[in-house]
Amino acid sequence: MGPLHELLDQSSLFLQQLVNGITLGGVYALIAVGYTMVYGVIQLINFAHGEIYMLGAFLAYTMVTVLHLPFFVAFILTILLCSCFGILLDFIAYRPLRQAPRLAALITAIGMSIFLQNLALMIWGSQIKSFPRELLPAVFSRPALVLGEITVSWLQIFILTITVLFMAILHFIIHRTQVGTAMRAISHDKVTSALMGIGVNRVISFTFAVGSAMGGMAGILVGLYYNAIFPTMGYIAGIKAFAAAVLGGIGNVPGAMLGGGVLGIAEVLGAGYISSEYRDGISYAVMIAVILFKPSGLIGKPTGDKV
Amino acid sequence: MSRRTRPALPPGLIMPLIFLLALLLPWIPLGPSSNYVLRVLTTAVLYMILALGLNIVPGFTGLLDLGYVGFYGIGAYTSGLLAIHYDLSFWWILPLAALNGALWGILLGAPTLRLTGDYFAIVTFGFSELVVLVIRNELWLTRGPMGLPGISPPSLLGHTLTKDWEFFYLVLFLLAVVLFVVTRLEDSRLGRAWFAIRGDEIAAQCCGINLIRYKVTAFAISASIGAMGGAFYAKWFKFIHPDMFKFWESILILCLIVFGGMGSIRGTMLGALVLIPLTEILRAVLPQELFSARYLIYGLTLVLMMRWRPAGLIPFERAQEALARRAEARIRSRRGGEQGP
Repeated sequence: MGPLHELLDQSSLFLQQLVNGITLGGVYALIAVGYTMVYGVIQLINFAHGEIYMLGAFLAYTMVTVLHLPFFVAFILTILLCSCFGILLDFIAYRPLRQAPRLAALITAIGMSIFLQNLALMIWGSQIKSFPRELLPAVFSRPALVLGEITVSWLQIFILTITVLFMAILHFIIHRTQVGTAMRAISHDKVTSALMGIGVNRVISFTFAVGSAMGGMAGILVGLYYNAIFPTMGYIAGIKAFAAAVLGGIGNVPGAMLGGGVLGIAEVLGAGYISSEYRDGISYAVMIAVILFKPSGLIGKPTGDKV
Repeated sequence: MSRRTRPALPPGLIMPLIFLLALLLPWIPLGPSSNYVLRVLTTAVLYMILALGLNIVPGFTGLLDLGYVGFYGIGAYTSGLLAIHYDLSFWWILPLAALNGALWGILLGAPTLRLTGDYFAIVTFGFSELVVLVIRNELWLTRGPMGLPGISPPSLLGHTLTKDWEFFYLVLFLLAVVLFVVTRLEDSRLGRAWFAIRGDEIAAQCCGINLIRYKVTAFAISASIGAMGGAFYAKWFKFIHPDMFKFWESILILCLIVFGGMGSIRGTMLGALVLIPLTEILRAVLPQELFSARYLIYGLTLVLMMRWRPAGLIPFERAQEALARRAEARIRSRRGGEQGP
């Protein structure tokens, strides 16, 4: 084997990692959107968002295996259920605490996260589940593109298409529709928005609905991609997605996408070339570094403290 | 003046009396289960120490610290490694572990305490996860997932502690020390600065309180108490493993102080005294599968307490009132501010 061949091998490995990293980044971006939107509107880190992502995966799994629904029906139903779930979460847990100190809301968010995670553990058990291949569209397991050593699967293309599509829709909603304008107004000043006749609670519910829909979707996609659904999946993915949101600039939707992409690539390359044991550590380290040195993120605007 | 009835005992006597009762506990004959009861109580007292340490940050200073278990883990591994490699006595290990905890507290706190509350929470979370990752992966130092077995038990004046009641006395002694430190802190210049920060950061800063310095001090003291708890745990259990220091522990300890009353020392202790034995009861009653989902209860506790009783079982405000009364007695001057309706 000549040196040239080896070099090609190396670079194709790199490219393969890059493709995997971008796919992972797309998923992180989908979850990160939920954090970033909620944070933008009510300045709360919704720790339970990762659990909605986990529930998305479990709900779709249950619909496909127990109820024998076709995959795409289950996909859409799960997304709807997840967004209802997001609204419910806000209604039960966060709305009563709107006027309370931020510490109280934050503790509630953590409590909800722990509660939901263990509820899932009770319902579905700790065994790792995976979608049975025969119940999925056959196209998912086929490679779409084979360029030498690099394979891009249809699933990866599906994930990326969905990510980009929904990000575009979201961007449109936030910047071109009335409810989007209301969301931006609330993120500037909740009280004044209410005085201007914006139904603040309705808009916040809408934010939770959209964010949770994206989160649930991400859960299904990851369940497909890694073939592993388990109750604690939301906890790590949630933190990483939060890191992605911070990296891009919290409250900023394109930023979440950028942050997700960068983090996904950093994680896969870091695991491949530096140390696979510290795979999760890379995300935490990136997150801590960004929060410390550039808390406004890559493309976020710096915000001063409101006195 | 006050609608509440004063306790029949002078407040200064309650704690010593409880301690006296606790000292008598090992000698109450409980038959074959008495050692088990003692072990559960030792755990409860250990968690009281941990909760008192954590309480300084969210309770006194008003910052959510999700990485407390990181310091607990650092303390435990400092203790275990020093005992195994250098065969140091527990009485050397304890201050060293506390120092190491404080060191990491300062290293983490100094840059991160500038951040707003929720960013701080998430960074401390990241820190504790990193601590577990390092413990798990740096095999040369910590043996990683194999754990650290064979830690020698502590000894006192040449006598090695082995019996359950001896450990119970030891942990009670540590609790007394921590309790002394924490109550003195609460009533000190430092404590008042913390409460001011908890009340309103900007107002506190305007009164000339150096926010960073006081926050870092709080964080370092909290970390060193956590590390001391870890040091005791390693010497008591004689085996430590990275899985013992996962994020869940932080949640559990947070739950103790939220349940008992955030910021209130007695509440914090009561929280540990109620919830830790409850865990043991659940372990005995529930089947294994359900027991692994016990954190459901803690999560629910956090949510319900925040919703309906955010001040906890023994609210901090009452403790503050007691402090104010003491100050009043000392200064013998009119109390500032008006009584609420």
